[in-house]
Amino acid sequence: MWILLRLIGWQYARKHLLRTVLTSAGVVLGVAVLVGMHTANETVLLAFSKTIDRIAGKTELQISAGDAGFDEEILEKVQSARSVRIAVPAIEAIVESNLSGQGSLMILGIDMTGDRGLRDYDLEQGDEAEIDDPLIFLAQPDSLILAKSFAQRNRLEVGSRLTLGTAEGPKTFVVRGLMKSESGLASAFSGNMAVMDIYAAQKMFGRGRTFDRIDLAMQPGTTLVECQRELRGLLGPAFEIQPPSGRGQQFETMLAGYSLMMDMASGFALFIGMFIIYNAFAIAVSQRRTEIGILRALGATQRQIRNLFLCEGAVLGLVGSVAGVASGMLAARSIAAWIGRLLSSVYGVAQRADELATDPKTLLLALGLGLATSVIAAILPARDAARLDPVHALQKGSAQAYSTSENRLRVWAAAALATLAAGSLIFSSSRLVFYLGYASAIGAALLAGPLCSRLLSSALRPLLQWLRPVEGALAADSLIQAPRRTSGSVAALMLSVALVVAFSGMGQASYQSIDDWMNTTLDPDLFVMPSPNLDVQTTRFPSTMGPELAALPGVSRVQTLRNTRVTFRDTPIMVVAIETGSLEKTAHLPPVQGDERQMYRLAAEGKGVLVSDTLALLQGLRLGEQLEIAAPHGTLSLPIVGIVIDYSDQQGAVILDRSVFLKYWHDDTVNAYRVYTTGDRAAIRQRILDQYAGQRQVFVLTNEELKQYISRIAGQWFSLTSVQIAVAVLVAILGIVNTLTVSITDRRKELGVLRAVGALHAQIKHTIWIEAMSIAAIGLTLGIGLGSVNLFYVLEMVKRDIAGMRLNYQLPVGTILTLVPVMLGAGLLAALWPARAAVRGSLVEALEYE
Amino acid sequence: MNRHLPIVVGVALLTSLGPWDLGVRVSASGDARQIVAEAQRRSEAKSQRYEGLLRSHEASGKVTEKRWTLERLGSHGQSKSVIRFVTPAEVKGVALLVVNHTDRASDQWMWTPAIERDRRIANQDRSTRFFGTDFSFEDLEERDVDQFSYELLGEDVIDGVACWKVQTTPKETKTSQYTSSVVWIRKDNYASARLESYIKEQPVRRLNYGDLRNLQGIWTAHVLTMTDLKRGSHTTLTLERVQYNVDLQEGNFTLQAIRR
Repeated sequence: MWILLRLIGWQYARKHLLRTVLTSAGVVLGVAVLVGMHTANETVLLAFSKTIDRIAGKTELQISAGDAGFDEEILEKVQSARSVRIAVPAIEAIVESNLSGQGSLMILGIDMTGDRGLRDYDLEQGDEAEIDDPLIFLAQPDSLILAKSFAQRNRLEVGSRLTLGTAEGPKTFVVRGLMKSESGLASAFSGNMAVMDIYAAQKMFGRGRTFDRIDLAMQPGTTLVECQRELRGLLGPAFEIQPPSGRGQQFETMLAGYSLMMDMASGFALFIGMFIIYNAFAIAVSQRRTEIGILRALGATQRQIRNLFLCEGAVLGLVGSVAGVASGMLAARSIAAWIGRLLSSVYGVAQRADELATDPKTLLLALGLGLATSVIAAILPARDAARLDPVHALQKGSAQAYSTSENRLRVWAAAALATLAAGSLIFSSSRLVFYLGYASAIGAALLAGPLCSRLLSSALRPLLQWLRPVEGALAADSLIQAPRRTSGSVAALMLSVALVVAFSGMGQASYQSIDDWMNTTLDPDLFVMPSPNLDVQTTRFPSTMGPELAALPGVSRVQTLRNTRVTFRDTPIMVVAIETGSLEKTAHLPPVQGDERQMYRLAAEGKGVLVSDTLALLQGLRLGEQLEIAAPHGTLSLPIVGIVIDYSDQQGAVILDRSVFLKYWHDDTVNAYRVYTTGDRAAIRQRILDQYAGQRQVFVLTNEELKQYISRIAGQWFSLTSVQIAVAVLVAILGIVNTLTVSITDRRKELGVLRAVGALHAQIKHTIWIEAMSIAAIGLTLGIGLGSVNLFYVLEMVKRDIAGMRLNYQLPVGTILTLVPVMLGAGLLAALWPARAAVRGSLVEALEYE
Repeated sequence: MNRHLPIVVGVALLTSLGPWDLGVRVSASGDARQIVAEAQRRSEAKSQRYEGLLRSHEASGKVTEKRWTLERLGSHGQSKSVIRFVTPAEVKGVALLVVNHTDRASDQWMWTPAIERDRRIANQDRSTRFFGTDFSFEDLEERDVDQFSYELLGEDVIDGVACWKVQTTPKETKTSQYTSSVVWIRKDNYASARLESYIKEQPVRRLNYGDLRNLQGIWTAHVLTMTDLKRGSHTTLTLERVQYNVDLQEGNFTLQAIRR
């Protein structure tokens, strides 16, 4: 077999090098997207987990109660536990460094008296480490220990001053210590890390007497489970007790949706690649009929012929996969940087991924998928090649038409799959049935593709003939008579366009939903916040600011917003506490479920909670169902009295009255004040800023500014859709280029005859151009049809498995209109080189071809 | 017999001095206990006040200085102490309240006036350094005599003075960073001359008592030098204006009081 492969397969590939490269391009792209995205995800997760480890030090378990924090007294309880050797409190806060190009600084507030049992600051060992005086550090709330790398970047040293934003306004801090750059803690967040006294941090960041978490190490001989059990018994269910690595869960949850969408894009790319390979192999079998005939006449068995083509497919797949893996790895670093920036919203400090995380499993999977794609694509052509009768094979002529029985079989299979897809919609509550239906719908479209393609070609013929009587008719006839030659390409195009339509429709619907939500829910005139960054909620306001704001002239209403992330059914969700009685007066969005008046009244009376539609969908919650959330001061158990549209959090939100939050969390701090005005907004905004100037860090955003901010964040998240669309368009273009290159080679004799009977070079070129654009037009038409179905399934996926968003079905007309010139243009562009090649070759050679 | 053995330091307690029957048989553990109990009896006072100068000498040669005042009320093992830092200006007002108990580890709180916050020094943190000095928070505690077992290791000479060398080992019920300690008690006046603390077999801290003076009948060391044997640094506490049995109010030894 290897001899056959070397003597025949390799020679053929060498002779048609460009075609071979183009054929494998689909696999390269699919594998590259898969490897690139997964490696980038893993890289970012690794970087974050390293950061978590560096911050955690020797911490074996961490205790937290969502991001609301908990009372200080919990610490003593934990320290009294028999299984706990050392337990220390921690607070994390993100502040603007106010240093050019340095971004934010992560401040870790710790109790220096005991924290070194867990964390190594590398302050006192070695000559490089410096700290001024531990007692002064504790006695002065402006004390800060910086990572040495950060200090060096900004020419800071012990004794230098640094102004940072705090809850009490900009404050000047004094650098009283430096951590060695290579030490664990100092290298977290690439050195954008500072340590301060936890009690000073409480004051500076408006945390009252709460801690964010407790880090602990266990007594020797105690197991993790024993310690967790003892602490659960001591603290109750509101507290999460998990190893530091558990903190990565939030990132993984956030990345899960991303991964699913990118997997879908890479899956489509591979699927499309499969059709491109199939197309190329089908044509190769046709072109190599004589060669096959000779081999068979010389005694080669059917099996040997089949294996020859399968091996060629395998080699092509392997080469494509290797190239894809290499390209994916190259792209991974850029993608990782992009995801890192996106995910910085969780910590507020951008995470640089310096080291690429390569998971051998991902690489093997990608290689396997690429290989399998190519081999599967080669199965049918290999079978056809093996079945060729040596006598027929040695006769001149081509076999590009489908047989009647083949056509009939396809149509029946397509009809059966379409029926299955339609039927599955009835039982689509089952995940398996839903995805089976989706696959059936795609399968039906692919099987019906050649027939539809032929029908559309026939329909196009009069138009093409009318446009260019000779070239148009020739092009149309070529498409009608040789559907096998173009079917793969049309299928690839159809899938690409379907992908573009679905993703674009999803993006458009998501934007629309978020926009609707913002316009109806985010209606206050001004938002008063302690940080300009909405994602960073480590600084909070005291509740006393509410009445102060309400007393300002021109302010008609003030709503207090407190949100915190808690774990519900092992998923981090958002709890939004607000005065629901007041919210009723300003809310304009009708609930998805529940009585509008009653639900706000019940919530205001503390007799129920509202949940976001996303949470209800993702967690399968129903109106009237009792919702239980473990809070630091008891388990909140209230019925769901309303389901509303709310996009406060990707994983969903529970909206409850502030009084309920105070009761169960004992935390009266505020994340933001929603201010309604009656007068000149600009003047009131200035009044608020003047009121707190020098006392407190206050940022006042207008309604428009807040919406712009949210739109920008949403835009970042949806920018992935653009990547997917780009992949789809690229694959589509590859499909056209491949088909035409193959088609021209295949038709060298036909084109030679045309030239021999007097066809002008221009006429031949035009024929090829028209054919290319016709393929694009057919693929586009079928793609839009399949895309409209695909959009339905993608929206369902978003609702069920990705974001819990109930998005409106709306065809992305703008995108479709843009696709028309793009695809036709791509078709024309792809035809330029093949058209030149068609007229450039020797006429004698062309006539002797085959 | 007094039950409590204060083997320390910040409060400079083991400074008593008195005659000792040099003919006593010194190999039995009961005798060792008797020696330390007598040493304690001789240092007994209702209250104490002094001004301290704390000089920390880092291995690198860097020296930091702080001044504090200490007031102590009550008998050994049940005493309460308040340390208030006076200089430098950045630490002025920082206070530490130590409440010793006979049946458990002491309670310790620190008050930081700049942020108006008190913080509890957890038991687990007692092994950490006391604000960058070579003392640990545990070294500020008074120890219950019943929580240790004693063994007389023999006799030794420190600074030309004959001493008993007594090993104290915490019992299982007592949590301590130290596996054991060895105290040198002068035979002439029962004042402590040296205290060496061990973790496993390794000596980690050594405290030398110097400038011994008899004040109001109590032999008091006026210079205490603690050496961190691992780090190679040492801290000297110099006692000034030491007074015993001064009139101190119980109300001054509360968390509320140190906040003032």
